[in-house]
Amino acid sequence: MHDLEPYRDMMAKCSHCGLCQATCPVYLEDFLQTHLARARMDLIRAVLLEGEIPVTKRFREVLDRCLLCTNCSRTCPAGVPVDEIIAAARNQVYQGKRRDPVRRQLLRRFMNQRGMKGLMGMAGSVAHKMGWTPEELPAPASKPFEKRFKGRIPAKGKARARVAYFVGCATNTLYPDTGKAVINVLAHNDIEVLIPEGQVCCGMPALAEGDLPLVQEMMRKNVPVLAGCDVDAVVTDCTSCGMMFKAKAAKTLPEDDPLRPQAEALAEKVWEVTDYLNQIGLTAEPPPLPESYTYHIPCHRGWTPTVDDAPRNLLGKIPEAELIELENPDKCCGAGGTFFMDFKELAADIRTGKLADIRQTGAKTVLTQCPACRSFLRTQFEDGQVTHPIVLLAKAYGI
Amino acid sequence: MKGLARDLGRLVAKERVRTDPEDLFAYGGDATYYVKRGKPDAVVLPENTSEVSEVMKYAFHNAIPVTPRGAGSGLSGGCTPLHGGIVLDMKRMGRILEINRRNMSARVEAGVVLADFHKAVKKQGLFYPPNPQSMNVCTLGGNVATRACGPHGVKYGATGDYVMGLEVVLPDGSVIAPGGLAARSSAGYDLTHLFAGSEGTLGVITKANLRLLALPPAHRTAVVACESIEQAGDTVSEILAGGTLPAMIEFIPQMAIVAMNNYITPPLITEGQAYLLIALDGTQDEIQAQADEILGICRRMGVLDIRVIEDEKEAETYWTARSNLGGMLLTMMKKAINEDVAVPRDRIPEFVREIQNMASTLSKVVLGIAGHAGDGNMHPSIFFPEVNSEAEKEAQETVKKVVRLGLSLGGTVSGEHGIGFHKAEFLHWELGEVQIRLLKRIKKAFDPKGIMNPGKLWKDGR
Ligand SMILES: Cc1cc2nc3c(=O)[nH]c(=O)nc-3n(C[C@H](O)[C@H](O)[C@H](O)COP(=O)(O)OP(=O)(O)OC[C@H]3O[C@@H](n4cnc5c(N)ncnc54)[C@H](O)[C@@H]3O)c2cc1C
Ligand code: SF4
Ligand code: SF4
Repeated sequence: MHDLEPYRDMMAKCSHCGLCQATCPVYLEDFLQTHLARARMDLIRAVLLEGEIPVTKRFREVLDRCLLCTNCSRTCPAGVPVDEIIAAARNQVYQGKRRDPVRRQLLRRFMNQRGMKGLMGMAGSVAHKMGWTPEELPAPASKPFEKRFKGRIPAKGKARARVAYFVGCATNTLYPDTGKAVINVLAHNDIEVLIPEGQVCCGMPALAEGDLPLVQEMMRKNVPVLAGCDVDAVVTDCTSCGMMFKAKAAKTLPEDDPLRPQAEALAEKVWEVTDYLNQIGLTAEPPPLPESYTYHIPCHRGWTPTVDDAPRNLLGKIPEAELIELENPDKCCGAGGTFFMDFKELAADIRTGKLADIRQTGAKTVLTQCPACRSFLRTQFEDGQVTHPIVLLAKAYGI
Repeated sequence: MKGLARDLGRLVAKERVRTDPEDLFAYGGDATYYVKRGKPDAVVLPENTSEVSEVMKYAFHNAIPVTPRGAGSGLSGGCTPLHGGIVLDMKRMGRILEINRRNMSARVEAGVVLADFHKAVKKQGLFYPPNPQSMNVCTLGGNVATRACGPHGVKYGATGDYVMGLEVVLPDGSVIAPGGLAARSSAGYDLTHLFAGSEGTLGVITKANLRLLALPPAHRTAVVACESIEQAGDTVSEILAGGTLPAMIEFIPQMAIVAMNNYITPPLITEGQAYLLIALDGTQDEIQAQADEILGICRRMGVLDIRVIEDEKEAETYWTARSNLGGMLLTMMKKAINEDVAVPRDRIPEFVREIQNMASTLSKVVLGIAGHAGDGNMHPSIFFPEVNSEAEKEAQETVKKVVRLGLSLGGTVSGEHGIGFHKAEFLHWELGEVQIRLLKRIKKAFDPKGIMNPGKLWKDGR
C-alpha cells in the first residue's frame, strides 16, 4: 500500500462486471457509478498512474467517499483488493496531508500517544476542534483500560494457552468495560492473558487518512511489542485492529523492510477474541441468561473466514439466550472509522437503513465486534444497548 | 455541449445531473469497456417517468443522443454512449409498485434490481424465473431491453416470456403503455415485445408489468462430472430427450471447476473434462422421480461421478460459485471475451465437438465453453493468458469462426446478451440485408431523428 504501481495488475483484473454494485454501501445510497469500485479504480489509474486526468476536488471526493469497508473486495469474483488500492491512492494524493496542519497534529497525537495525561478528554476535544459533532462520539470513560489493567492476568485454573491482548484505542478510552470482559472471560476459561506494554493505535485510522508514514510509525512500535511476546495467539476485540494486523500490516511496509518478516509472522497469530474462543472452545460452561439479542456483522470481517459466525456459535452455548437474526446481518451501518464524521448525511442515511432492520427484530441488545459500528449505532438506538458479544458472555458468567 | 448542465438542471434536480469529467468518465461503458469506451456529455439520474419525458423532449428538440443505462452489467456494449450525449441512469427508478397474487403479476419500475425482485416475490410464495447470472445487480429494465435469460431458461424461458406490458417514453417525450396486465392480448402489433430486446434504441422503458408463477415447493441440486466435453453434451441431450426438464442445467468446464472449488466444500473431483450443474424443482415426489431418471441416464452414459446436494443452503453455495464463474476465471487469466452464440438443443453435442476441435488449434488464447447448456446457450469464451496484438488477432478470428459455426448449425449470434456494438457485424450475417433494412425502417418510425442509443444493433447504428 506504500505504492500504487504494484497494484496495476490487480486493477487490470477488474472485468467491469459491476457485481460490486450489490454490496457497496456508498453506491447503494448514492446510486452513482462514479462511486463504485470499478469506476474508482479506473479513475485512480487514469489520474494517478497514467496522468490522463488531473487531480481535482471531485477526484479527491471520489477517493474520500469510501468507507474502506472491503465489501467490494469480498464481493469481487476476481478478488481485486479495492480497499488497499484506494488507501494507496489516498496516500499518494495526500501524503499524510489530508487535513489542515492543526487537525493533522491533533489526530497524530491522539493516535500515536497512549497513556498520556488527560487523554480521556482528548477524544472529545479532537472531535470538537475538527468540527465533528461531539454527540456523534460517546463520552470517554473516566479511566482508560490501560490505567486499570496491566501486565499479566493469570488463568483461573491451569493455563491451557497464553495470549497477548492488543487493546484498541476505542476499547481503551471509550469501552474499557469491554476490555475487562475480554480478560475476564479468557482467564475464566483457563487462558493466561498478557497486556503488552508500549502498544499504540493499530494504524487503521491513519491508513484511511492516507498517512502511510504515520501507519509505518505505528507498525514500528506495535509489531516488535506484539511479535516479541511468547504467546500462542494475539487477540483483539476489534475487527478493524484485527484486520490491520492480519491482512494489511506487512503490506504497509516496503518490500525490503526488515520489519516485514516480523509483521508477517505476527499476522499468523492474530485472532478476534470471540473467534479465538470459539476455536479453542470454552472450558467453563455458561449459566443460562434469558436475554434476546441481535447481531450486526462488522464490515472488516474478510480477514478470517470464521469471525462472522464466531459470536453466533459462542453465544449459542449460553442456555436461554436467544439470537434474533437481522434480515441482512452484514449490511453496513455507515460508520466506516471516521467516515461518518466527514460525510455526515450519507453515513446517517446508511445507518437509518440498518436501524430499521434492527428495530424489526425487536431485540434490545445489539452485538457487534466493531467499536465504530457500536458507537455510531448507539447514538440513534435509544431503545437498548449496543455492545460487544464478549460482554454478553461475561454477563452470563456473572464476571 | 454548452449550457447542457444548466438546461438539464432545470428539468431534473441539479444534484442528479452530472457533468464533472470524473463522472462522465465513470459512465463510459459496461463489461465490454476494454473494446470500446464512450464519453457522455451529461449523466442524468431521473426519479420518475415525467422527468424522463422532460429530458427526452429536450434531447429530441436539440437532437442530442440519449443512451439508457441500467446497471451497466451488459456484455455487448449496449449502454456505451458511442456518440456522447446524455446517459440516463435508471437505477433511481427502483420501486416495486405492486405484487398482485391474485393476478400473478407485478408492476415495477425499470431500475429495480433483479435479485431484490426475486426476494420480494418469493416472500409472497411467488416466483419470477429469469435469472441471468448478474442478477444481484442487473435491472429489470436492462433485462427487458436485452431479453436476458439465465440458467432457468431451459425450463422457464427468458425475460421476454414474462413481460405483459410496459411503460415507455418515446424519443419525442411522449409516454405510451403497450400491453397491460391481462394474461392474453391480441390487440394489434405486439409493441410490448418489440421493446423487449430493443436495447434502448426505440425508447426508454420506465415501467414493466411482469408475469409471476407459483414458487415450486422444493428444490434439489446435483453435480455430474463427465469424462469428456462430448459426454457432457450427449448427457444433456439424453436428459432432455428423455422428457425430464430440470429447472437448470449448466455446463462447466474443468478449468472453471478448479476455481469454483474455492467456494465448495468438500471440493469436487477435478478429473472430469466437463461438469453439469443441475437443479430440479417441483414437489418432493416430482423431484424424486426426476432425480431417479437423471441418475439412471448418467449411469448409462458412464459419467465419472455424481453428487446430489439435498440441503438447500449448501446448494446455494454451488449456485453462487456458478454466478461468480466469469470473474473467478479472470483470477487466472488476463482478459476474457464472452460470446453467447446459442444453438438448437439437438445440435449441442455437435457444437461442443467443433468448438473442441477449434480450441485445439489455438496457441495464443484459450477457447472455453461454459453456459446454460439446457437451452443450447453455450457461451463460448475466449481467455487471454497474455494480452498482446497476436492474441487479439487470434481472438478476433476465433470469434468469427465460432459465430459462423453457430449459425451453420441453425443457431443465433446472441442467445441472451444482445447485440450492442459488439456483435453488430454478426447481426448482418444472421438476418441478412432485407431484414436489417426492415429493422432500420422500424427504428425510423420510432426514432426519426436517430437519437436513441445510436451506434447499436447494426453496423452504422442509425
Ligand atoms: C457476471 C455477469 C453475468 C451475466 N450473466 C448473464 C446471463 O446469465 N444471462 C444474460 O442474459 N445476461 C447475462 N449478463 C449480461 C447482462 O447482465 C444482461 O444483459 C442484463 O440484462 C443487463 O442489465 P443491466 O441493467 O446491467 O443493463 P445495461 O448493461 O445497463 O444495459 C443493457 C442494454 O439495455 C438498455 N437499457 C437498460 N435499461 C433500459 C431502460 N430502462 N430502457 C431502455 N433500454 C434500457 C441499454 O441501453 C443497453 O442497451 C451477465 C453479465 C455479467 C457481468
Ligand atoms: S471499500 Fe466499501 S465503500 Fe469503498 S468502494 Fe468498496 S464497498 Fe464501496
Ligand atoms: S466486482 Fe470486482 S471485477 Fe467486478 S466490477 Fe467490481 S471490482 Fe471490478
